[in-house]
Amino acid sequence: MFDNLRDGLRSALKKIVGASDINEELIDSLCKDIQRSLLLSDVKAALVKAITDNLKQRAMTEQPPKGLSRKDHIVTILYGELARMLGYSGEVITTIDKKGIDDDPGVTAFFKPGKQNVVLLLGIQGSGKTTVTAKLARWLTKHGYRVGVIGTDTWRPGALTQLKMNCAKINVEVYGEEESKDAVGIARHGLEHFKPQNLDVIIIDTAGRHKEEAGLLQEMAEMHKVSTPDLALLVLDGTIGQQAYSQAEAFHKAAPLGGIIITKLDGTAKGGGALAASAATGAKVMFIGTGERIDDLEQFSPTRFVGRLLGMGDIKALLEMA
Amino acid sequence: MFDKLKKALSGAAKSIGQKEISEKILDDTLLDLQIELLESDVAQEVVDDLSARLKKDLLGLKLEKGQDASQVIESKLQEIVAGIFARAGRLDIVEKIRAKKEAKQGPFVIVFLGINGTGKTTTVAKVGNLLRKSGISVVVAAGDTHRAGAIEQLTQHAERLSLKVIAQRYGADPSAVGRDAVDYAKKHYIDAVLIDTAGRMQTSKNLMDEMSKIVRVVKPDIKLFVGDSLAGNDTINQAREFFQYANFDGAILTKIDADAKGGAAISIAHLTSKPIAYVGVGQGYDDMIPFDPDKFITSLFGS
Ligand SMILES: Nc1nc2c(ncn2[C@@H]2O[C@H](COP(=O)(O)OP(=O)(O)OP(=O)(O)O)[C@@H](O)[C@H]2O)c(=O)[nH]1
Ligand SMILES: Nc1nc2c(ncn2[C@@H]2O[C@H](COP(=O)(O)OP(=O)(O)OP(=O)(O)O)[C@@H](O)[C@H]2O)c(=O)[nH]1
Ligand SMILES: [Mg+2]
Ligand SMILES: [Mg+2]
Repeated sequence: MFDNLRDGLRSALKKIVGASDINEELIDSLCKDIQRSLLLSDVKAALVKAITDNLKQRAMTEQPPKGLSRKDHIVTILYGELARMLGYSGEVITTIDKKGIDDDPGVTAFFKPGKQNVVLLLGIQGSGKTTVTAKLARWLTKHGYRVGVIGTDTWRPGALTQLKMNCAKINVEVYGEEESKDAVGIARHGLEHFKPQNLDVIIIDTAGRHKEEAGLLQEMAEMHKVSTPDLALLVLDGTIGQQAYSQAEAFHKAAPLGGIIITKLDGTAKGGGALAASAATGAKVMFIGTGERIDDLEQFSPTRFVGRLLGMGDIKALLEMA
Repeated sequence: MFDKLKKALSGAAKSIGQKEISEKILDDTLLDLQIELLESDVAQEVVDDLSARLKKDLLGLKLEKGQDASQVIESKLQEIVAGIFARAGRLDIVEKIRAKKEAKQGPFVIVFLGINGTGKTTTVAKVGNLLRKSGISVVVAAGDTHRAGAIEQLTQHAERLSLKVIAQRYGADPSAVGRDAVDYAKKHYIDAVLIDTAGRMQTSKNLMDEMSKIVRVVKPDIKLFVGDSLAGNDTINQAREFFQYANFDGAILTKIDADAKGGAAISIAHLTSKPIAYVGVGQGYDDMIPFDPDKFITSLFGS
């Protein structure tokens, strides 16, 4: 009963692997199983339908490329459809071999040399922004970037202390104003403060907000205007359900998103909300958070995310067995 | 909410001439129904259970003349959901605390539990505010000695609300912090002790064991699970594990103001038969209201 996406897909694909003939009935039944698995992973219901409709249509009409069996082809289509939904825009996926398609340039593609690149982190209350700010600062530092951090959360008690405690561990300077209530002003002052320093990336942590908080979204829009970020990242709670789409959409409107970070994937959440957030914004999943510690951040590409979502390793093994 | 379902049902109902509810019509309509529930963030597992119940109760049911299959199915579902909340009962924290206070049995102790970032610390402050306004004296305990800024966060809340806070340093044993607070309350005749705890993933055995220890040591009168109403299927995994480790007495669902549909309420009540006591509707201290199952059902079914 507690089947997750992988189990669901595995049993769905078993039917295909075991079948002598791939016909419409079989594909319908596969689609139904996939729908169930995706819904269990918190992929938005309307998207689930779009994915399986495409899968069916393509599976029924396309000829498998040379070297692929029809079964391989169907899995490949599914893989490609999901990756596309997640913002993958590389060449058409014709293999489920990870090595062949993991060509995502990731976060650094947004950075220009010789300037202070600004990264703006935004998201719903408690999604993990402040934690991710420090984790990302750490990740960038490890990759040779010099980083400064600005804390603009004027709402949550202890927010600046939290940020400073986290960044003290990694020797990254935090600019903040404990008494100010003007988040946009703090961002401006922070950027001025860091200007004379020889830094590559400035990360701005912001207060949590959601799509119904018009005033806070307005503040986000202003923050975006003032800080002109090179990259705005949505920090999304991995446990989020059907609300992911509309929430991401609202953020994207206030501050156009360049990427998504999905957190708390060390629990049991499948993070299917990322798919909806990607579909709503065109932004890709760049990192995933897998724990509370500063090093618990993994770089991610859409195709790898699909691999995780689907349990690709298992599927490959299954196909090879057939 | 069930517009699509209704449409599907009325179409299907005609096709069978409204004599009895067949397997086919049930399966077809259940699919729509399941999607509607999932879209409200009721966990799939719970949707499956509800579907099975509906099926068991309605399969082959003879319809009276003029009776509409769609209405029969919808009211049955409503009845099943109402039954879940009825079984879970209600939890009036203020009343419980007053009772203990009047009986002079010492402080009433509440521990707040949940995964990371759901709103535990804020909810401790909100409950503290509610109790103080109800004439109940409160001490809060900074039982999250783990997350950066957690102690300062709770301390600032407490200062704003003029509540006494008991805290130790980071890394201290949370059980000891809780015990300190209970001792303080006993000594100073304070009515209620609210213990904040660190967020923890239900998959972390160490942290879950630590939580069990807190419960063992402070022997709270009630334990409250604080869940994020925006969560989807994971709610059920969280509730199951926290219930198993801490046997909580009720839940508080936060962030409903984010336009959450609140399906988590059904998931939790169904799984644990424990009530949803309050829902969080914002970041302010007064942004917490009692959960009203009747209202919730009415808004869900739109009648
Ligand atoms: N287990 C786990 N916990 C995480 C992860 N990322 C963040 N957290 C925890 O989630 C909780 C919330 O994280 P914060 O960084 O405070 O979230 P935030 O988005 O800054 O919250 P607000 O500023 O209140 O909106 C904290 O307890 C973090 O330690 C993760 O990947 N795994
Ligand atoms: N909009 C809204 N925000 C809320 C609500 N309840 C809590 N929050 C916000 O959610 C964020 C996280 O709340 P916390 O109280 O720090 O959550 P927590 O469970 O203690 O987090 P950890 O201790 O890190 O696990 C904060 O920004 C709160 O202001 C609510 O009902 N509505
Ligand atoms: Mg924060
Ligand atoms: Mg807390």
